Amino acid sequence: MGKIWKNLKANLRRERLLTIANIFVMTITFLLLGTLIFIISGSQTALRYLEEQAQITVFFKDDFPEENILTFKSQIEGDQRISGVKYVSKNDAFEIFSQLNKDEPVLLENISPNILPASLEVKALNIGDLDTLADEFSTVDGVEEVRFFEDIIERFKFWSNVIYIIGFVLVGVFAIISYAVIMATVRATIHSKGIELEIMKLVGASNSYVKNPLVYQGIFLGVVSSTIAGVAMILMGAIMKFNNMFEQGLTFGFLPRLYVQPFVFSLILFIVLVLSGCFLGLLGSYTAVKRYLKY
Amino acid sequence: MPQIEFINVTKEYESGNIALDNVSFQIEPGEFVFVVGPSGAGKSTLVKLLIREEYPNSGQILFNGADILSIDPENVHAYRRRIGVVFQDFKLLESRNVFENISIALEVSDATDHEIKNIVPNVLNMVGLSAKMFKYPRQLSGGEKQRVSIARALAHEPDILVADEATGMIDPDSSNSVVEILEKINALGTTVFMATHDEKIVDKLKKRVIRIEDGKLISDKKGGKYRG
Repeated sequence: MGKIWKNLKANLRRERLLTIANIFVMTITFLLLGTLIFIISGSQTALRYLEEQAQITVFFKDDFPEENILTFKSQIEGDQRISGVKYVSKNDAFEIFSQLNKDEPVLLENISPNILPASLEVKALNIGDLDTLADEFSTVDGVEEVRFFEDIIERFKFWSNVIYIIGFVLVGVFAIISYAVIMATVRATIHSKGIELEIMKLVGASNSYVKNPLVYQGIFLGVVSSTIAGVAMILMGAIMKFNNMFEQGLTFGFLPRLYVQPFVFSLILFIVLVLSGCFLGLLGSYTAVKRYLKY
Repeated sequence: MPQIEFINVTKEYESGNIALDNVSFQIEPGEFVFVVGPSGAGKSTLVKLLIREEYPNSGQILFNGADILSIDPENVHAYRRRIGVVFQDFKLLESRNVFENISIALEVSDATDHEIKNIVPNVLNMVGLSAKMFKYPRQLSGGEKQRVSIARALAHEPDILVADEATGMIDPDSSNSVVEILEKINALGTTVFMATHDEKIVDKLKKRVIRIEDGKLISDKKGGKYRG
């Protein structure tokens, strides 16, 4: 281990400027990669929140008795597509209306609770079911009108998915950039050490003696730059925690029911980045050694 | 058993140039053998085949009875550690001093720092360069560089010392001192295999001479001279 570290240090010292430049480029790449993952997760979390808030408001006719509305409420509460139902009586509706229009007393004077309709606020588990549920409710006896804000949610869903797809494509692109930078660095080392490697070979160095330090160099570059970027992600997570952002937690697009606190999320991201750095370093340097080291 | 045996070895390059054509010879342990011939005759190819830097198109090359062509690529290094090679262009690293240039040969065989500190001064003493241990190649003459190259080749006590035009880039006086060192090494039991077109040295030493021309082995004489 001591010898590996000694050789690695010697390699890095000889190409100090190149090493610093590459760590800089790769750190930026990993930073962008981490930030993108945060953005993807943030947009997915916002979408989940909006989806959970998505509701259908079922307004009932003025003469439809409250008992019937409550009976209907109990019936639909058992529906697996529905996550919650709230009854808003005429009086509740008047209170909400009053709150909303508290600065317009003239308007309030002319309104009484009887004018406003009683309603049920129905939340669906899945935004995709809103349409069907709305259709079903509109045919129910006593229902006057069914409203839901499908367009806004659908539009947000569209853009959130666009961020999700483009984000993951960019994550892939940045991963390829990191891989290419590591490969170019190791390639440059192989070229600059051409005669040294040739001499090593001729005086009896084993394949692994020549190749391993170059592979370690790639892993070192990947791990150092991803660690710096990972620390920045932890700071970002800490700032989010400090500012009470995403208190409910962040979600991963592909694991919709899992919510993780932003700080914990940043720690996971740190580990993912460092492992990716290590893997890309290994892959990039191994490919360079295989392709450019004629041994 | 011969230490080295070339059996009907033919080497043809992709360009169509036949560097060696059905060459066969044997070398016994402790021999001093010159391989002579004009430039392009095939001497360097012979050296490259011997250190398994290249493969022949046909034939066999045996080292102590074992076919070197069948050595797994992962294990070639173990074979190369038994052969010390000296090059015409010295192949020294300009950024490393004499001690460090020699220690490369030991580092690659996982020698400890203690072993390196013992061996390097010994081999430098053998080639008469103890006083220049911490000089850099740019501070040495051509002859001295070649002696460093010999010291490096001797570092892991090889069975054979292969010299490819070792006197090709140095002045006559330095050539003589290099050859004297090779004779001394040979006297200690190491086989020396020297490719050269330095007529004076070959004629002076009166050792075995293998002559190659246009890839063909023309003559093989003990106590021979450059021109037969």
